[in-house]
Amino acid sequence: MGVFNLKKGHNIHLQGAAERHVDKAHKTSAVAVQPIDFRGLRPGVKVEPGDKVKRGSLIFVDKRRPNIVFRSPSAGTVREIIRGERRVIQRVIIETTADSAESFKAYSRDEISKFSTEKAKEVLLNSGLWPALRQRPFNKIAEQDKSPKSIFISAVDSAPLQAESDFILAGREKDFQLGIDLLAKLTDGKINLSVSASTKEFFVNTEGVELHEFSGPHPAGNVGVQIHHIDRIVAGNIVWHISPRHVAQIGSFLKKGEYPGAKTYALTGSELTNNLYIAGTEGALVSDLVSETLSAQTQRVISGNVLTGKQSRPNGFVGFYDDMITVIPELSGRRFFGWLQLGLSANSFWPMFLSKLTPSKKLAPTTDMNGEERAFVSTGEYEKVVPMDILPVHLCKAILVEDVELMEKLGIYEVAPEDFALCSYICPSKIEFGDIIEHGIITMEKEG
Amino acid sequence: MESLVRFLNNMDKKIKNGPFKIFSPMYGALNTMLFTPGHGTTTGPHIRDSIDMKRFMGIVIFALIPSILVGSYNVGLQAGVEGLFAAFMFGFLKLLPIIVVTYAVGLGWEMIFGHINGHDIHEGFLVTGILLPLTLPPTIPLWQVAVAVSFGTVIGKEVFGGTGMNLLNPALTARAFLFFTYPGDISGDSVWVAVDGFTGATPLAAAASASGSAVEAMNAAGFTLNKMFFGFVPGSIGETSSIAILIGAALLLITGVASWRIMLATTLGAYGMALLVQFFGGDVVGGIRTLPAHYHLVMGGFLFGTVFMATDPVSAAGTDFGKWIYGFLIGFMVILIRTFNPAYPEGMMLAILLGNVFSPLIDHFVIQANIKRRLNYGK
Repeated sequence: MGVFNLKKGHNIHLQGAAERHVDKAHKTSAVAVQPIDFRGLRPGVKVEPGDKVKRGSLIFVDKRRPNIVFRSPSAGTVREIIRGERRVIQRVIIETTADSAESFKAYSRDEISKFSTEKAKEVLLNSGLWPALRQRPFNKIAEQDKSPKSIFISAVDSAPLQAESDFILAGREKDFQLGIDLLAKLTDGKINLSVSASTKEFFVNTEGVELHEFSGPHPAGNVGVQIHHIDRIVAGNIVWHISPRHVAQIGSFLKKGEYPGAKTYALTGSELTNNLYIAGTEGALVSDLVSETLSAQTQRVISGNVLTGKQSRPNGFVGFYDDMITVIPELSGRRFFGWLQLGLSANSFWPMFLSKLTPSKKLAPTTDMNGEERAFVSTGEYEKVVPMDILPVHLCKAILVEDVELMEKLGIYEVAPEDFALCSYICPSKIEFGDIIEHGIITMEKEG
Repeated sequence: MESLVRFLNNMDKKIKNGPFKIFSPMYGALNTMLFTPGHGTTTGPHIRDSIDMKRFMGIVIFALIPSILVGSYNVGLQAGVEGLFAAFMFGFLKLLPIIVVTYAVGLGWEMIFGHINGHDIHEGFLVTGILLPLTLPPTIPLWQVAVAVSFGTVIGKEVFGGTGMNLLNPALTARAFLFFTYPGDISGDSVWVAVDGFTGATPLAAAASASGSAVEAMNAAGFTLNKMFFGFVPGSIGETSSIAILIGAALLLITGVASWRIMLATTLGAYGMALLVQFFGGDVVGGIRTLPAHYHLVMGGFLFGTVFMATDPVSAAGTDFGKWIYGFLIGFMVILIRTFNPAYPEGMMLAILLGNVFSPLIDHFVIQANIKRRLNYGK
């Protein structure tokens, strides 16, 4: 077992961590399957409004790779297909009805152990859970005709208010093991499972994995950081990664032969009064999960965590990869001489506010940018929140001038926008590192 | 408060679309100084750090206050004004016009370039506008200040694309311009005391012109180590008091605004080089080469430059290891110039500008090393 104690990074202490207690969602009125959850996907939708679907029915496929399919997490009636700019399909909304499921073939551990790689891929592709496997470089759904060097799973929950993986998986050890058994068929290399001191107990008896223990501030839990420390990506390498929850979902699919639609979410953030876990459905409607009435004007609803989550709405849906909802206050107006504040409750990485004297105090920041965009003033602070041997400012500058060769040399293949979220967060010049990295990844993909 | 915000917001629209469009960069800066800009996040991260450039640069200005106070008092003291407050006021009234001219002319240029490039006046100039006056002698003619600021802002910064893009520190560029264009008004021994006809050499000049031991020559001129540490000797307004600069340095280091690596490396570089010079050259030649190493650290512009100029994040090296090299280079150069160049008793300004010029090259090598590590990984 590898032990990694990372020093660089920064924990943002926020109010509203979910208490380890699960409630049942008070209703399930609608779910959505959202092509926009998947980077660069062109969906070919297979249903029309009014169609009746079962849990596990085919909703859409990837047009470029039609054997990658997306299934409905719930039985119901297709209500609406929402299109955005240039008629790009954003989401398919399904009004839920009494549960009924498509049936697939179930497999035992013994049967899975005899799978060939081809068979394992076929089963996983058909399950509708293949999109849970993502690939670096390029941070997209894994390419099924490739063979990854290794597969990474991060059960280190370091992001602000992040759902605790050992808790959302409680009691599902067997599902998790079955999922691992299948993943083992997809690579000749190792399955690297990273845990933290608090999640270790759940995962420690898993068979067929290489266990690693990570400690340190966020982003120690980012799979990109772990890949960098365990088995770095060099030119030509491909690695895949998947979340622990999705591994268990795969296991559940194999065991029962049904698409697993159930999903437990953490409800977090200072604007929610009941911060706990809730048992709901994949792609759930936010207002089905949250008991209080939310306002889009005064509250920011985020599918995911505050750093990398996507903005949603009270009547929006939770993303495929997200297992938490965060609700924080929206910005409320302009503050008088904000730059001169003493900052007793100012959230900051920098030792420039009095709040630095109370480092464990939990804060409730709004969505205020707290400033305006300025030129890069490279201060050497960004490096302090990137626990990788990567020069964030110089990589970004290479991307901005579209110097493909230099980007490659400075490590673009290793990274995803989420690895630079803290750089955007701490930046006094309010530069969007994530957007720049995304631009770099798109540029590299085009270059082939 | 709310009606004031509404008024400001309305004015913003009027100015941006009206005949006074050229003032829009200035108005934007004032507007956001009074109230935070009030922009929300549109993408993740949904929350942002409370820091912004205003706070960042504001801290530097706070850090300069001790130097402004002690520097002003010392200008009065050197001119023979008696009484703490009277001396301070005398000096402050010498400094104030220089600051006013610097800001007025500099902000004028910033406004023009802000208008052309479509952005507000950036906070960096607020710092440059105080730094430059503090590096000047109190007797500097104001028209020269105006010319120097124009040069520093336009050639030192805006031609490179404005704040963040400049190669050289704009305040030092302005000072170097004065130094080479009007040497009579910024060097020699008649410029440091703000009384007509009164001459007073700086400690560095006294040390440089000593025929035997520099320390004895300086003591004879009344420049003890103590006096130099507290800053009661002739020199540029803000540079003389080591203690005031150190208070500012503490603030910069605690808040993380300035790089401790650069400060430490510059000091170590200078101290090491001064030890070498004293060891090899001291007894043989006399003059400034006999000066004990620690004297160099409190004399002239060394400390002011180390704390406030070398650490300018834009013109300094950007990589952590690069900062060590950059600092050592500056420290080494300043002592080299002080002890081996008969023309300039002071070397800090040129050493930092040279460091600025080399910093992209230094960073280049650090980046290459990173690339090499990446290529070698897994081999």
